[in-house]
Amino acid sequence: MINQTKPTPNPIFIYFSQIMENPVIDKNGEEVGSLYDIIIKPSEVYPQSSHLIIRKGFPNRQYAVIAWADILEANGKEITLRIEKSKVAFSEIHNNKEELTLRRDILDQQVVDTYNHKVIRINDIHLLLVDNHFMAAHVDISSKGLLRRLGFLNAIEFIIRLFNKNSEFLTTEPLISWKHIHPLSINPVSMTIKVNVPEKQLNSIPAADLGEIFLDLDIKHKIALFKAIDINAKAKIFVSIDFKSQKSLIEDLKTKEIADILNAIPSDEATDFLEKLPKDTVDNFLNLIESKRAKKLSQLLGYSNDSAGGLMTTDYLAFHKDTTVESVLTQIKERSFKTEAVQFVYIVDESNHLLGATNFRHLLRTNLQDSIQKAAFPKSYFVHLNSTVKEVAYLMDKYKYFVIPVVDDNNVLQGIVTVDDILSQVISIAWRRLTKIKIRPKQ
Amino acid sequence: MRSRLKSFWIKTLIFLSVMGPGMITANVDNDAGGITTYSVAGAHFGYTLIWSFIPIIIALIIIQEMCSRMAVVTGKGLADLIREEFGVKVTFYAMTILIFSNIFNTISEFAGVAASAELFGISKYILVPLCAIFVWWLIVKGTYKSVEKIFLFACVFYLSYVISGFLAKPDWKEVATSSVKPVFEFNKAYLLMLIGVIGTTIAPWMQFYQQSSVVEKGIKLSNYKYSKLDVILGAFVVNIVAIFIVIVCAATLYKNGIRIETAKDAALALKPLAGKYCFYLFAFGLLNASVFSACILPLSTAYSVCEGMGWEVGVNRRFREAPQFYTLYTTIIILGAAVILMPNVKLVPIMLLSQATNGLLLPFVLIFMLLLVNNKRLMGGYTNSKIYNIITITVVLAMIGLSIALLFATFIH
Repeated sequence: MINQTKPTPNPIFIYFSQIMENPVIDKNGEEVGSLYDIIIKPSEVYPQSSHLIIRKGFPNRQYAVIAWADILEANGKEITLRIEKSKVAFSEIHNNKEELTLRRDILDQQVVDTYNHKVIRINDIHLLLVDNHFMAAHVDISSKGLLRRLGFLNAIEFIIRLFNKNSEFLTTEPLISWKHIHPLSINPVSMTIKVNVPEKQLNSIPAADLGEIFLDLDIKHKIALFKAIDINAKAKIFVSIDFKSQKSLIEDLKTKEIADILNAIPSDEATDFLEKLPKDTVDNFLNLIESKRAKKLSQLLGYSNDSAGGLMTTDYLAFHKDTTVESVLTQIKERSFKTEAVQFVYIVDESNHLLGATNFRHLLRTNLQDSIQKAAFPKSYFVHLNSTVKEVAYLMDKYKYFVIPVVDDNNVLQGIVTVDDILSQVISIAWRRLTKIKIRPKQ
Repeated sequence: MRSRLKSFWIKTLIFLSVMGPGMITANVDNDAGGITTYSVAGAHFGYTLIWSFIPIIIALIIIQEMCSRMAVVTGKGLADLIREEFGVKVTFYAMTILIFSNIFNTISEFAGVAASAELFGISKYILVPLCAIFVWWLIVKGTYKSVEKIFLFACVFYLSYVISGFLAKPDWKEVATSSVKPVFEFNKAYLLMLIGVIGTTIAPWMQFYQQSSVVEKGIKLSNYKYSKLDVILGAFVVNIVAIFIVIVCAATLYKNGIRIETAKDAALALKPLAGKYCFYLFAFGLLNASVFSACILPLSTAYSVCEGMGWEVGVNRRFREAPQFYTLYTTIIILGAAVILMPNVKLVPIMLLSQATNGLLLPFVLIFMLLLVNNKRLMGGYTNSKIYNIITITVVLAMIGLSIALLFATFIH
């Protein structure tokens, strides 16, 4: 583009609140209206302005959307159009559903701060004015931003300066970079979140924090956010929220989505959830999921809540006693596991009788061609399906195990109990009034 | 037949699980100030004001229903919505007035505690700080669920007014006729009382509190009809209690020509006329109402302000995580209790200020609500219907007119 105007000044930072309501003039210098909103291209890390929304008239407001190509000059005082006033088409409405705009979708709204892992409300937007384009660079959530919006900032800064010239309030600009911001604005037609770019960042948030962010949102945003993330993140969130929130979430999901989640979470978490539901609802859910898993889950549901059977998960690694160490290691590498405790491997015979246990360290130190039995611990401990929480906890403490296998009366391997499941039980026994304590889910 | 009975029980259970916000909000309305107003109305004008409770019930249902609908559909509090749709400036000023209005209201609740302390012969220097600590502790240590249960339990104690109403042996025939037959006396005192009675029933904090608590409860759209029932039931219960307060005072004080200024006067005057049980019930009702409202008002204020300003809200958060929330909540309680404990404190100017700030804020809140509830982008298919809008606008205009009238009246008075 040939630069027809005076050379662009150095790029400057400006707050959205400072340019809102600025006059918009046409190429002859006549006033068209005032700057109402800016549509941004959400695809970029620091999104650029793509359209300008002008507002005029009171009380019958009218709006016009101008593509940025028709803008001759933008600065901190006014915006000059490349076209004539008569060419600007005003109409009553300006709401186009898909686009993302600063005023409607960002300013004063709630967004996810993927850096500090929480939901925040935006007080102001810090824009970079470069080459007559605005780029969203930072957001302001501080009290300073609040005061600027209210028009008190200068007065307050003046008063503070009287007392302390080097006050932290005056010198710091408490801003959050745009790249850490995940807007939550919902497309009202599809009911999904408009921007999906920083999904990777959402997925990088630890599950427990993601769960907490999730609880801070209202129900519409919850559903929309939930739809935006992949199944692993869904499973992570699902296991980290409390039962009431789980139930409320399930009510708003389609049966296919529910089935996907129940398939993706560890079986002990699934039973934890299912056992609190009414029986016919449980049967409905079990019909939705893979038949093999459904069978496992319904079996698990049959065990008492505070027995080894009720606590165990059926996602464990077991290999036939004649498998070579090499084959075990390849299988571990190739298969993806829902298993929480992959570091332990169990050795079984043809009919799944428990013969021994081993772990990665032992496997790595054994000859690749040897059978897995060579790598086994000298002695292996186990508990029975009906062993109590206390017995399991005692054994784990005594032999310093993180995981312990569970067998039935015929010594057939049924599942494993992991230390985190035991810990949450033991803690709640220890502090009865803190029964709600839930161990943070495994990453 | 059997399945019908079963579905009835299921519906009842769902209703019980949804019930709360509407019932609690409405009942807090019968606070110390409300009881005073109704007592004076009964004592000075007999049964002649009872008819006004029917339009009050309708107005209350219509306004609170919109809040609960907005909460269920958008999942956001009223302060949230005002901030998101009308910007930070409007929110800031609205919240500032709300803070002042609720501080004055809280002071008058603690005045109610002090008055009932004197009625029971306890020093107010003991009971007021005790109540303040109790109120503070309840919210800081409680969860939303446990607090709601305590509040619902407190609602039951409003029955004490119904019982005292029966103890006062009113002329039921007269009560019945005057509740359906509007009487207008065109004198200044009567009109002022009428405005006062209607004015105390709908206060701005109620809309904020109702909407936040419905959101907090996480009520689903599919259960919305139960939430509506909660609002309707709440409006009836609160006004029936109010009518009984009027009846008690009309049947005893009005008949004997006793003039009173406060609820405390009313209780004291009841003792020789209706017996000591009636007196105790009346005094106990006052204490319960004052403590109950003193819980809700600071909580509702802190909630709304933090929602609107984008600060962390949290009954379930620690002080360090939600400093503004706890500071605001604690300050309002301390201020409310401290003002009452000051020697020679004059309550009349505080009551006037409370009414003035309420009257100032209510028109704006109601207009915001109308704009929000009719916003298609927010409400989708759940905006007001045309007919409903006509009714609502009429009610809102009437309420605005009344609150402005009350504003002027309190100062001319």
